[in-house]
Amino acid sequence: MVKLFSETNLSPRLETLRSVSLFADLKAKELRIVDGLLHERSYVADEVVFDEGEDGQALYVVFSGEVLIVHPTDGGDGLVATVKSGEFFGDMALIDKWPRAAQARAAAPTVVGVLFRSDFQTLMETHARIASRIALQLAREMGQRLRQRVDAAAHGRGKL
Amino acid sequence: MSADNVGQTEATHRTGPLVWASIIAVTCILLFLFQKILWLVVPILLALILYYVLVAPLQWLIYRGVSREAAASIVTLGFMSLLAVASLAAIPRVISNLTDLQNSVSRYVDGGSLFMEHSLRGLEASSSILREAHLADTVAKRLAESSGSLAERIEPIVVGLMTWTPSLLLAPFLAFFFLRDGRRFAKFLTGAVPNAYFERTLFLLHGVDKTLRAYFQGLIQLTILDAVTLAVGLWFLGIPGPWLLGTLCAVLAWIPYVGTIAGGLLVVLVVATDFPGNAAMAYSAVALFIFVRLLDDFVYMPLTIGKSLHMHPLVTVLMIFIGGAVAGVSGLMLVLPLLGVVMVIGETVGELVTDERLLARHHHARALRKHLAAYGLSRAE
Repeated sequence: MVKLFSETNLSPRLETLRSVSLFADLKAKELRIVDGLLHERSYVADEVVFDEGEDGQALYVVFSGEVLIVHPTDGGDGLVATVKSGEFFGDMALIDKWPRAAQARAAAPTVVGVLFRSDFQTLMETHARIASRIALQLAREMGQRLRQRVDAAAHGRGKL
Repeated sequence: MSADNVGQTEATHRTGPLVWASIIAVTCILLFLFQKILWLVVPILLALILYYVLVAPLQWLIYRGVSREAAASIVTLGFMSLLAVASLAAIPRVISNLTDLQNSVSRYVDGGSLFMEHSLRGLEASSSILREAHLADTVAKRLAESSGSLAERIEPIVVGLMTWTPSLLLAPFLAFFFLRDGRRFAKFLTGAVPNAYFERTLFLLHGVDKTLRAYFQGLIQLTILDAVTLAVGLWFLGIPGPWLLGTLCAVLAWIPYVGTIAGGLLVVLVVATDFPGNAAMAYSAVALFIFVRLLDDFVYMPLTIGKSLHMHPLVTVLMIFIGGAVAGVSGLMLVLPLLGVVMVIGETVGELVTDERLLARHHHARALRKHLAAYGLSRAE
């Protein structure tokens, strides 16, 4: 019985999960719970993961491969970001039911883990500590992105 | 208005009369088919109720580091142990009651008949038309004729219970597998869905789960509220066994109308037998029962089950009647949860098959995979 409650070595899959910044603060048993919620999907190069304007239902964690976030109205090739292995995208869908702001497209053969918003909401009710740790990481990521945008905007004005 | 509300409003606007007609038609067809395999549908239904009751302790155990498999075993075994202890405690009482079951039933039926006769004689005393029609004598004669075959009437009930027992024993086993493999099964199902439709399909599955969870949890809340209200009322009136009577009536109310009438009759029979000649007590019990039913229909039901299905009260009542007409008592019981599930599936499938962008994305992905699979087959590559 003691073994049931003790921390065990992480499997390669859980190690990959822990390498994702969103889940970095989670303990082994908490990672196992999150892993149980994730759906694994494989995409071929150039396959669309989701479209701009589509109802966002889930967050995607890249296990392997690369995903391009594209927003054609931004001019040029419309590339907003490149999401690599260990990173995540579509995170706004975890917080709110809002249309996707850009298109996500696999740049190479890609494997992702999908965390559905309803599962995250259930997690908030049943395992509030895990959900709050994920939410805190998410808030940090968003803050960082906001700072980068503000810096970029300020830098752009400086050039002008 | 939150984003969720916006989505809900949009979904409601999309649901036209054709979709609703299809939803009702599919619900009726399923009810008709389910009626033919009730031996399987009833245990599945009970297993679902059990699943939604046991899922909270399951999640509590999982969070404390227990694997899903072990947690499912622990909660199911815990429930079975509780059931076994309760059964063992009840067995001596049941056996002692069984020995004079026929006497008890006869006593309560006689008490009910006597109460009815007294009431009719009271009416005859105030109405010359009824007195001339000899209504009380006629009813008493009919009841006396039918009471002779009481033992024959109990027999099919006992045989029916014996026939249903193996089927009902399936429920905890099914609940165990729902708890242990439910998520794996959902993943297995979504694994077969093409990437383009994946998010929407997962959303559909969550919708079905949410509807069922809300319905069955609402049903349990409603049963507890009904049982407590009725038991407190009966206890206040001084009627013996208020908790048992209240619980029995609340469980019988799972079958709309028929169960309610059966519960009302049960209360009247008990009161008429245990308080013979005390018409005021019987009328108080009937008044209490009617009050609890009204409370149930207008306060408890909208707060629990009605709220869970997001359905108009008129649709709910109409569907209960249609369910009864299509599949009898089983139809009355099954119609609302079934309608809730068919409604969610119907609305989402309608959206999926008519979305041309999703179809185009699916074709694009298939073309890419075909191209990959064929890579290197041609000399030019």
